Amino acid sequence: MEGLRWRSILAALGVAAAIVWVLPNVVNFGEKAWWPSKQKLNYGLDIQGGLHLVMGVDVDGVVSESTHRLITSMKADMQKENVAVKDVKSVNPNLGEVTIDVNDAAGKAAVEKFLADKYSTVLQVMSSTDTSITTRYFDAYLNDYKNRVIQQAIETIRNRIDEFGVAEPSISQQGANRILIQLPGMEDAEKAKQLINTTAKLDFMIVSNEKSPQELQAMIAEAEKAGNYSMTTMKYSDYVTKLNADLASKLPAKSVVYFEKSANATTMEAGAIPFLLKTDTDLGGDSLDDAFVGYDQYGAPQVSLHFNSAGSNKFADLTGNNVNRQMAIVLDKVVKSAPSIRDRIAGGQAVITLGGGRDRNGMMEEAKMISTALRAGALPASLEQLEERRVGPTLGADAIDKAKLGSYVGAAIIVIFMLAYYKAMGAVASLSLGINVLALFALMTSMGFTLTLPGIAGIALTVGFAVDANVLINERIKEELRLGHGLNVAVKEGYHRAMSAIIDANVTTAATAVVLLYFGTGPVRGFAVTLLIGIVTSMFANVFVSKVIVDLLVHKFKVKKLAV
Amino acid sequence: MTIKNDSFGRFDFVGKAWLFGGISLILTIASLIYLAVNGINYGIDFKGGTEIQVKFAQSVTIEDLRKSIDDLKLGEVGVQSFGEGNEYIVRFQGRTGKTDKETNEILNSDLGKIRNVITTQFASQGPDIRRVDTVGPQVGAELKRNGVLAVFYCLLVILIYVALRFDYKFAPGAVLCLFHDAVITLAVFVAVGKEVNVAILAAIMTLIGFSLNDTIVVFDRIRETEGHYHDKGFGFVINRSINEMLVRTLITSGTTFVSAICLYIFADGTVEDIAFAMCVGIFFGTYSSIYVAAPLVLLMEKLNLKKARA
Repeated sequence: MEGLRWRSILAALGVAAAIVWVLPNVVNFGEKAWWPSKQKLNYGLDIQGGLHLVMGVDVDGVVSESTHRLITSMKADMQKENVAVKDVKSVNPNLGEVTIDVNDAAGKAAVEKFLADKYSTVLQVMSSTDTSITTRYFDAYLNDYKNRVIQQAIETIRNRIDEFGVAEPSISQQGANRILIQLPGMEDAEKAKQLINTTAKLDFMIVSNEKSPQELQAMIAEAEKAGNYSMTTMKYSDYVTKLNADLASKLPAKSVVYFEKSANATTMEAGAIPFLLKTDTDLGGDSLDDAFVGYDQYGAPQVSLHFNSAGSNKFADLTGNNVNRQMAIVLDKVVKSAPSIRDRIAGGQAVITLGGGRDRNGMMEEAKMISTALRAGALPASLEQLEERRVGPTLGADAIDKAKLGSYVGAAIIVIFMLAYYKAMGAVASLSLGINVLALFALMTSMGFTLTLPGIAGIALTVGFAVDANVLINERIKEELRLGHGLNVAVKEGYHRAMSAIIDANVTTAATAVVLLYFGTGPVRGFAVTLLIGIVTSMFANVFVSKVIVDLLVHKFKVKKLAV
Repeated sequence: MTIKNDSFGRFDFVGKAWLFGGISLILTIASLIYLAVNGINYGIDFKGGTEIQVKFAQSVTIEDLRKSIDDLKLGEVGVQSFGEGNEYIVRFQGRTGKTDKETNEILNSDLGKIRNVITTQFASQGPDIRRVDTVGPQVGAELKRNGVLAVFYCLLVILIYVALRFDYKFAPGAVLCLFHDAVITLAVFVAVGKEVNVAILAAIMTLIGFSLNDTIVVFDRIRETEGHYHDKGFGFVINRSINEMLVRTLITSGTTFVSAICLYIFADGTVEDIAFAMCVGIFFGTYSSIYVAAPLVLLMEKLNLKKARA
């Protein structure tokens, strides 16, 4: 038999790999380093329980808001530059479409020059008449903008979710304007929803120097000790509230303690730096128009801030009164950054330069993080809950237990039948069916797929196909034996002839599974994934491995008669 | 070299094909009419709404629960007992607001009210809210569209694949046979009062998958037999193929049917629905690959010959 040795080795390796990957699901290897795989199969929320939320992000609302801000700042800039216009009004705020009415040709030329100087990367001129110019955002700019809105909403949600210490939260973009949030094992669904739904709050606060960092640390330690709590035992927001309540009498008036996550800490608890902040600044997200990552003259990343007209006055006063002190950017009670103020900053435009001595990537990351935080507070996208699915842990466990029992009984009946009807070949078929299921779970585990309830149905269907493959092969072998062929010819022809039907059936099913994967959502996808994997493992187990076993019996062990 | 045998086998399938074809046609049309008249009872996945599954540790009667929830005046609310013991499903569509956004908000606030009633009024009965599903109108419409698209493209892919791999005369048979199975099963689902949601869609996919497998295997045999019996006519080829495959068809369908039944008996919820679809699907899928797909191939072949002669 050609290549039997190699095929046997390959089959043995495949089965061994399957065992290696499946075993951690049933045996706890714990810290034992010698077992190569530690990964376990992921269970979907419908099995392990948890909260599944789809939030709609009001991207258009944010764009429209930004159009109105654009108009306000445009008017202010035009006034400053002595560009005379009659009116600036929004036409289609969702696209940033703005019409500027002018008095005469000279005025129009001035406006065109102004736009080319100031807004050449943002606005394109759509049409113009003698007395008006209509502009709108560039498509690339608009798409980028929308994308940033989603990313910033995701970032905000992630900040909130971190509070719960959910083991493996998954927060991802779904479609153009949706966010899918999956929180396995989430018990307090109401609290989670409430937190996710509150919009981000941004504050600019002056860092107080009335207490030294050492004094502050000592006071916090004392309060924690007295109240017997710490950041690790409480949710961050509750902790901060309690701490400030406890310290109220000891802190200077109108000040609070918030924390910053130190640069290389993975969680807040792992490295929080306290800041004493003054609460009397009254400069928040509503004062800020926009924030983005820019570059200084040497090409180093920095964060550029645009304040609106009311905000720019407040900002000028604040910076003027606090030169050489630190101003903290606080998002949801977390200090994101605390740059020093060098000068009074008038005109509503400011930049935050990042501390030197770091690599460019690190600076870029920080710049992005700060600008995302600023924007999340400045232009918070409103979220709308579109879908909620919550499965209690008991239900999932019940469902899986019952499905398991059903599968075991079904499998037992199939095996008994196969053994009774096909005898020796029935044993081979049962063995390869077992390997099929084993390999399926191994592949799902190693590829990190998630098993859902519809996925279990997919597995049931796969097993149906696998049974069919075995029946096709065995019936063919029987036919060949009936024609008077010897066992080795019958086996060879049996596999060979059954193959085209098996491959055709599998390829067609695979094609439909791919279509399902592409168009389906949620449960349909779970079904399609297991179906696809099942087809692969079915080919491996029921065609390849089972042939190797039979060939070994016939050619290596010289079995002369094999009951079929 | 196989020994040729001039008999097509024990059963004359093709001879009765027109009878069964007629029955299938009537059944399909009847199902379509039934679905059109009766309407499909869409579950919350597709039409939006809320479902809450709650289990009480102590006994709570369905009347008590229904009354407490009716007192909230949230429009039509359905309470249904589920499983064994004190487990119920509370279902409501939610009132529609002027915009989708408003509908969403109403849905969410109503959900909160019901949850509140369950956890406060029945606090002493030990309520355990085991599952909550809320789907807003936008998502529902999208899921429905995607579902229909998925089925449509699946059938298209199958049509193309079968036409390329076999012969285009096989393709309409395969697709119509799947359509036949899907429509009849959907009608059965509606007739037994099941709501159509994403899980049922997955179930129909399962059935299409099974039926397709069966049809392809039979086609494969027809193609092979066709090569050996050019002179006998296509009816003979089909008859012989089906007869030769009969044992395989019965064993495969039988064993798969038994395991689907086991899953149906033991499992519940989504898996139960899918197992139910598999039971129905295996029955119709097996039948249709013999009595629907094959005769359609015969019909296509006849049309072909007519065209060739003309």
